[in-house]
Amino acid sequence: MTNLPKCENKKLGLLIDLDICVGCHACVVSCKEWNSSGDTKQLSDINAHQKEPIGTFLNHVHSFEKENKENNESEPFYFPKSCLHCEDAPCVTVCPTGASYKRPEDGIVLVNEEDCMGCGLCAWACPYGARELDLLSGVMKKCTLCVDRIDNHDLPEEDRVPACVKSCPTGARSFGDFNDPNSKVSKIAKEREGVDLMPEMKTKPVNKYLLPRIKSNFDKEFNEEENSDLNVSGFLSWVDKALDKL
Amino acid sequence: MHPAPSIILFTILSGFGFGVIAWVGFLQYFSLISSLEVIAFSILGGFLAVIGLISSTFHLANKINAIKSFSQWRSSWLSREAVASIVSLLLVFINLIIVYFGKNTVPLIGIIASLFSIVTVFTTSMIYAQLRSVPSWNTLLTPFIFILAALVGAAILLRPDYALYGLAVLLVIQFLFWLYRDQTEKNMKTNISTALGFTEESSIRSFDKAHTNQNYLLNEMVYKIGRKHSRRLRYLSVLFSIFIPVSIMLLVRFDTYVVGAIVSVIHLLGMYFSRWLFFAEARHAVSFYYDRS
Repeated sequence: MTNLPKCENKKLGLLIDLDICVGCHACVVSCKEWNSSGDTKQLSDINAHQKEPIGTFLNHVHSFEKENKENNESEPFYFPKSCLHCEDAPCVTVCPTGASYKRPEDGIVLVNEEDCMGCGLCAWACPYGARELDLLSGVMKKCTLCVDRIDNHDLPEEDRVPACVKSCPTGARSFGDFNDPNSKVSKIAKEREGVDLMPEMKTKPVNKYLLPRIKSNFDKEFNEEENSDLNVSGFLSWVDKALDKL
Repeated sequence: MHPAPSIILFTILSGFGFGVIAWVGFLQYFSLISSLEVIAFSILGGFLAVIGLISSTFHLANKINAIKSFSQWRSSWLSREAVASIVSLLLVFINLIIVYFGKNTVPLIGIIASLFSIVTVFTTSMIYAQLRSVPSWNTLLTPFIFILAALVGAAILLRPDYALYGLAVLLVIQFLFWLYRDQTEKNMKTNISTALGFTEESSIRSFDKAHTNQNYLLNEMVYKIGRKHSRRLRYLSVLFSIFIPVSIMLLVRFDTYVVGAIVSVIHLLGMYFSRWLFFAEARHAVSFYYDRS
């Protein structure tokens, strides 16, 4: 049923730290690799090595620059975006075939590919662009939080995390239960004031983002020092003046 | 949003078809049309509605599962639409049989079919109006304009005397809708700052998109041509959907259905522009992740 369940036990999701992310796309690549090799239909590429390649990805890294109002300098940051596994997921309720559902036990939003008719309405309903219709398999694709890893008891415990989390070289991504106030993700999100994307859409995303910290004004001070008169006295002052005259 | 021709044709043809069905049931109830007319127009309305519905399946990437779209009527407007359209068509068919065999004494089935066909157009419009992700659709004006367009279009064919007033109202609602769209676009609550979770509005610029080429998200939800020709297409739309039909109505007497049919086609052409703009001009929230400004 595409009615939304109450997820009172667990709310699994990702905590993404934009202050740490270096935009390397390792999460994008490992996501595509893992989700093309499991039981689901693969994430296809069309014209992969020709002009105008087009393909399906469940995770994207956008690059932005933000103006620092104090010194007018731009500060780049990288923004990985995948499904936020919203509590009030509009993509689930619009689904006409019942292919989309939210798992009651942990709140993961999934697509049953056996039922999907590829109408694309769920992709329209998602304000974040988290769903993509795979052009070859004709079914809707989205982040599953790698259910086939986290549910797989054949894997060693440390590998039972989404592929993107496992592959992140800087540790910018963490995975955990946001319903448990004592989980690592809940604690960090609380301490560093994790935010929701587009709160005005009232989707109540589970995934939280930690915004880039405001950089100190070190750069500005450094530059100013370099061009101003040196603040020295005695012998060094004499050297300074002598060098200026040269 | 991507203005897929299959979707535009679907909303226009099925809208017009269900509009015809709605008028037939109503006119039949008040004995304003003959049995022959009931049969002829029920077949026409049903035919157009079916063509529209078939056209809507063209955009499905996995048509084999289309039958499953009847299952989720509890939550999904698209599913409700599928159910409502089948119920309306069944009712039209039953009414047709009753009228054909000359038992037109209690035209209740006709008026129920008529109500159900309006409900069907309402469910179609709610597929779009429910989307918070597309703020300019997320208004009561959307179902209002869909239902009005369906009834007015069919009235041109069946009751040109009512259609004249209908077109005047449609003109007003159409401009209200465009006004609403422009205002929503100007004052959107979503912007690049909220999209990235910043609480205060900041100056943020995208310097590298997440992918080097087009992808599904851009094709489907970040459609820009609509905004470029918006003004001209709006004029063309009202010219064909409203002004030309009204002029013909004032100049020519509608004593046969032929004139009505020709004017309906002109009207539907104008509605095609209007519906094209409905999609092409609508801005989806995801577009903010791709903004360079």
